[in-house]
Amino acid sequence: MSTQNILPRDVFVNQIYEEALKNKDLYFLSADFGAQALDKFRDQLPHQFIHAGISEQNMVDIAAGLALNGKLAYIYAMIPFVTFRCYEQVKVALATMNLPVTVVGVGSGYSYDDAGPTHYATEDISCMRALGNIEILSPGDTQSTFEAAKLTFTKPAFRYIRLDRKFLPDIYQKGETRFLKDGICEIDKGEEICIITTGYMVQKVRQAKEILLKEGIQIGVIDLFRLKPIQGTLLSSIVSRYKGVMTVEEQFLSGGLGSAITEVLADERILLPVKRVGINDHYYLDNGGREYLHKLCKIDVQSIVEKIKQFHASLAGNRVLSSK
Amino acid sequence: MRDIHPFLSKSQWLRKEIFDMVIRTQKGHIPSCYSCSEIVLALCYGGMIRFDAKNPRSKNRDSLIVSKGHAAMVLYPILADLGFYPKEELLKFTNPNGILRMYADHTIPGIEAICGSLGHGFTIAAGYALAAKRDGRDSKSYVIVSDGECYEGSVWETAMFASHYELDNLITVVDRNGLCILSETEKCVKLNPLEDKWKAFGWNVINVNGHSYTDIFRGFDDLVKNKNKKPTVIISKSVKGKGISFMENKVEWHNKMPNAEQVGKARENLEKNCIIN
Repeated sequence: MSTQNILPRDVFVNQIYEEALKNKDLYFLSADFGAQALDKFRDQLPHQFIHAGISEQNMVDIAAGLALNGKLAYIYAMIPFVTFRCYEQVKVALATMNLPVTVVGVGSGYSYDDAGPTHYATEDISCMRALGNIEILSPGDTQSTFEAAKLTFTKPAFRYIRLDRKFLPDIYQKGETRFLKDGICEIDKGEEICIITTGYMVQKVRQAKEILLKEGIQIGVIDLFRLKPIQGTLLSSIVSRYKGVMTVEEQFLSGGLGSAITEVLADERILLPVKRVGINDHYYLDNGGREYLHKLCKIDVQSIVEKIKQFHASLAGNRVLSSK
Repeated sequence: MRDIHPFLSKSQWLRKEIFDMVIRTQKGHIPSCYSCSEIVLALCYGGMIRFDAKNPRSKNRDSLIVSKGHAAMVLYPILADLGFYPKEELLKFTNPNGILRMYADHTIPGIEAICGSLGHGFTIAAGYALAAKRDGRDSKSYVIVSDGECYEGSVWETAMFASHYELDNLITVVDRNGLCILSETEKCVKLNPLEDKWKAFGWNVINVNGHSYTDIFRGFDDLVKNKNKKPTVIISKSVKGKGISFMENKVEWHNKMPNAEQVGKARENLEKNCIIN
C-alpha cells in the first residue's frame, strides 16, 4: 500500500502525538510553524504544546530548561530557522549539555523552491554535523520518517531530524526497518558504481538508475538514513564491492553528505575513486521551481545521469591504467 | 525586621574567598562577582531558595541560575558552605582534579545549567519556571543576569514569552552595575530606560540598592506581595568591583589581575566591611 500521500511532517507529528497521549512529560514547541497533524496536537494536548513565538533562540533554551526538568522536548520550525538562526543556542544548551531534545526541521534542500535562499536549507547537513553529541536522521519516505519519529521517544537523545516539505515516494514498505539499525541501506544493488544519497534525492538517483539501466549501466544505490554517526564498517563492506563511489546531495559540497562519506572512507582506508555531486557554491535567486533549480546547479536527473556516465568512463580508464 | 549583621560578615567572607581563588589561579572575574554578591547571598541565606544539598536536583527545589556566567564564582564558596561539595574544591579551582572552573556547568553539584555565553541562563530559567507551572509544582526559578546581558536579543524574546505564559515563578535579577567590557553601558549602546523596557514587556519591576541588605530584603518583601501573575525583575543597582576601592566602577578591571602591590591594597580593603546596611 502506498503511503506517499501523507506529508513527512504529518507522519512525524502524528507519531509524536500518539506518544504524547501516553507520555505527559512530552512537550512539543513550535516557533509558529504548523502541520495538519499539529492542529490535532494543539487542540487535544494544549498542556503539552508550547508556542514559543517566532523566537527560535528562545525556543531552544526553553526546551533545554524543560529537558533539565525531565521533559522530552521537541522544537519545530523550518530548517533554516531551527538550525542556523539559533545555532549557538543549539550548541550551548543542547549539544554541550547533551539534552534529549529533538530538533525537527522541515524543508530540506530546495523544498521551499518558491521562497528563495532565506528558506533553502542547503548547508544544514554541514552545520549540524559539526556539532558534538548529535545524531542526525534524514528520512526519505513515509516509513523511514515514521521510524525516525519512533526513535525520538524510544531512545531519547539530542537529535536533528531533517524532513522534506513535499510528498515523497516510498522507498521502504510499511513495517520495514532494515535502514534503522546501522542507518545505511543499500536499497538497490548494482555493479561498478554505487551512489550514496539521502532524503529527497533518493528518488532522483533512482530515476537516474532506471535511465542508466537502459544503457547497460547498473548502479547501486545507498540510502543514508542516518547522517551522523555513519557506520563506517558497514559502509566500507558495501562500497568495497564497487569500483567507485558517487555521492549525490541537494546541499553545498562543503561539509555535506559527500564530505562525511569521504571522511569515513579515508578513516576506513577504503581507496576507491569518489565523485561528489551537489550544489555549487552559489545562492540562486531564480524563479522556476525545484526541478529548474536542480537543472541550474546540475543535480537534476539528466545531469546526474551524465555525471555517472562520465564517472563510469573515467573508472574504465583507471582500470586500463592500473592493469599496465 | 531581619537581622542583617550575619549577612554583613557573609559579604566579607564571600569577597575574600573569591579573591583568594582568583589570585591563586590568576583566573576569574572579581568585579562582576562583587557587584552581585549581596543579592546572591540574600537569596541563598535569606530563606528565599529551597534546596537540598544532598539531592541537588530534588523535584521540589527552587533553582538559581547565574546567567552572567563570568560571575559563576560568586556561587562557588556558597555552594561549598551549603554542603553541595567539599570546601577543598575551592582550593582546587581550575585544577585538573577539581570540579570548579571559570565558567560553571551542570556537572557541578548545585549548578543548574551551563552558562558563559550571555542570554542562555535567563531563557533556560524561564524553561524551569514553565516546567514547574505545567507540573503544578510551586518551585521558583531565580536567575541573575547582567545589565550588559540585556543587549542579547534573546533576552527580550524570553521576556515576552515569560510574560505571556504568566511565569510569576520566574524571578530575574538584573545586576545593574552599569559597565560592560569596553565602557559604561550608557556610552556603548544605551540600555535606559531599562525599567520601562521590562514594564512594557509585562513584568513587575522592583528596584533595589544591590549593596544594601535592608533594601534587598525590602525588595524581596515586595516580591512576595506581587500576586498579579506577572514575572518579576529586580533591578539591582550595584557597583562593579564593590569592596576593592581601586576596582570599583573601573572597566579595565573586568578580567585584569592585580599586581603584588595591588593585591596587598585589595586585602586591606577586604578586611573592612564595605556594606553599610
